[in-house]
Amino acid sequence: MKKPSKKREIEYCKVCRLHHDHGSRHKYFPRHKDLLSTFLDRFRTKIADVRFFLKNPSVLRPQEQSQNRVWCVFCDEDIVELGSSFACSKAINHFASSDHLKNIKQFLSKNGPAMDCIDDFRISEAGVAKWEKKCQSLGNEDASSFKGSCGQLSGTSNDIHNNLAFKTMDKIENVPAQLINSHHSSDVLPLQYNTNKYQISHSELPGVAHYGSYLNMDSSHLPLHTDPPSNLPGNGFGKHVIPSRSKDYPSNQDQERKQIKGSYSSPGEVGMTSISSSHSNDACGNVHSGAPPPWLDANDGNSSNVQLNQSDMSSSFQAKIPGKTRKLNPNRVGAAWAEKRKIEIEMEKRGQTMNSKVDADWLPNFGRVWQSGTRKESRKEFEKEKRKLVKTESISTESEPVKIQPYISKRARRETGENGSG
Amino acid sequence: MSSLLLKTLTKKEEIDRIIRDTIDEVLVLRFGRCTDTVCLQHDDILAKSVTDVSKFAKVALVDVDSEDVQVYVKYFDITWFPSTVFFFNAHHLKLDSGTADHTKWVGAFHIKQDFIDVVEAIYRGAMKGKMIVQCPVPPERIPKYQLLYKDV
Repeated sequence: MKKPSKKREIEYCKVCRLHHDHGSRHKYFPRHKDLLSTFLDRFRTKIADVRFFLKNPSVLRPQEQSQNRVWCVFCDEDIVELGSSFACSKAINHFASSDHLKNIKQFLSKNGPAMDCIDDFRISEAGVAKWEKKCQSLGNEDASSFKGSCGQLSGTSNDIHNNLAFKTMDKIENVPAQLINSHHSSDVLPLQYNTNKYQISHSELPGVAHYGSYLNMDSSHLPLHTDPPSNLPGNGFGKHVIPSRSKDYPSNQDQERKQIKGSYSSPGEVGMTSISSSHSNDACGNVHSGAPPPWLDANDGNSSNVQLNQSDMSSSFQAKIPGKTRKLNPNRVGAAWAEKRKIEIEMEKRGQTMNSKVDADWLPNFGRVWQSGTRKESRKEFEKEKRKLVKTESISTESEPVKIQPYISKRARRETGENGSG
Repeated sequence: MSSLLLKTLTKKEEIDRIIRDTIDEVLVLRFGRCTDTVCLQHDDILAKSVTDVSKFAKVALVDVDSEDVQVYVKYFDITWFPSTVFFFNAHHLKLDSGTADHTKWVGAFHIKQDFIDVVEAIYRGAMKGKMIVQCPVPPERIPKYQLLYKDV
């Protein structure tokens, strides 16, 4: 007697986003495996962004705290950086926590793949310790340069102009106001009035400053001007950074990340550091020398705000265009003929003289209305009919005209014959 | 007017060339006369739709009065005008529209969309390796005609 099969519970797979009753077999299904790999790759890019801030800690402004958030797929929670002073600090602490590790193990055992990729999704404690040290050093630097600026900053933070600057779409006007709030050093005088792009392009100030945490800002926040390097008042652009503030800004983003020493500070803190000039004399060249941008040379997964260059766009479009550039179905009608014909056409284009003259009797593959049998047979039938037609026509043209004569009987012919001989 | 927009073929060589040079696209050949009213209506629909189907189809007109073309008129068993024959990679594709003749579309299309639907159905069938496809046009818009067996 057969045992009744167990009714399996219906479970929800968050990778495939569907309910199933496959039980533990579900994780071996090929569709699940494909979706899992894309699912994990997506999370890997997110954690790569967080790892960037692990290596290059930067101060987080309160305005951008709400934007700096990560959804942890293993723990099913949203990590928002509210109240944290450094970018991705809560995320870093979360990814290093034991709860997160436990959830990763649970997820991998339920959904596969093997456990060897655990380290891809967490941050080690050693890394966190290094990051904390860097943050402390950053904090010390900020504290030392932050002298008597609190009052002004709080005043400016209440300034209507600055509040509007955060809200309006005019990013060029935004940036100077934000920068005024965030950058204070003994070399920089606080502005008495709101600047606009024309003032920025024509002003000069000593001192060089630099930003961090570009990832949290839209590149459109940055002013677009292509003036030669000049040190600008309170806007944080240094000699080596200004060329990047043109529309080619993203091209130097990677270089700037490497150059980041200081931090992009909130209104409550100060941070301006200089960029060492050795980086500017890079053998790779820059926008002005016409060198290729770094994202075309190197694979960079961190640049979430990098604008695609024309060549990148075209190559990505080529990859995305369906139909002609993608492999066509080999089972389509006339596939073999099409491939052969394409080769012939290519050879003709190259100049190799092929038998380009088509036979005058060539006929395409056609299934006739009254066909019985294959299309080849119908073609043969047609050719037979054609030959018959040709024959009958030729016979009718070649035959001599028949002479019409009256009928002479045999007896009469005999008699005439005898009379003739006798 | 539409014959100015669409290529008109008058020789067998031209027809051969267009059939052989159309690769991985549906080739629509209309057999008819540019003076016939039904052909004119049909050509108008074709001319308006040619850009919409340009990515996967090519359209050409064949003048049945030309002597050179009579071979094809006989080979394709064309007895009614206009008749539209469909090719894909030099292979003829049949269309089952519920009429007696599955080898071609006889008559004019009522609306542009019908033509586009037919060409799309043929393209999809051809890409899947089918030599005959179901006609997506509703029966009320399919022209009716009598087909004679060998002129009987």
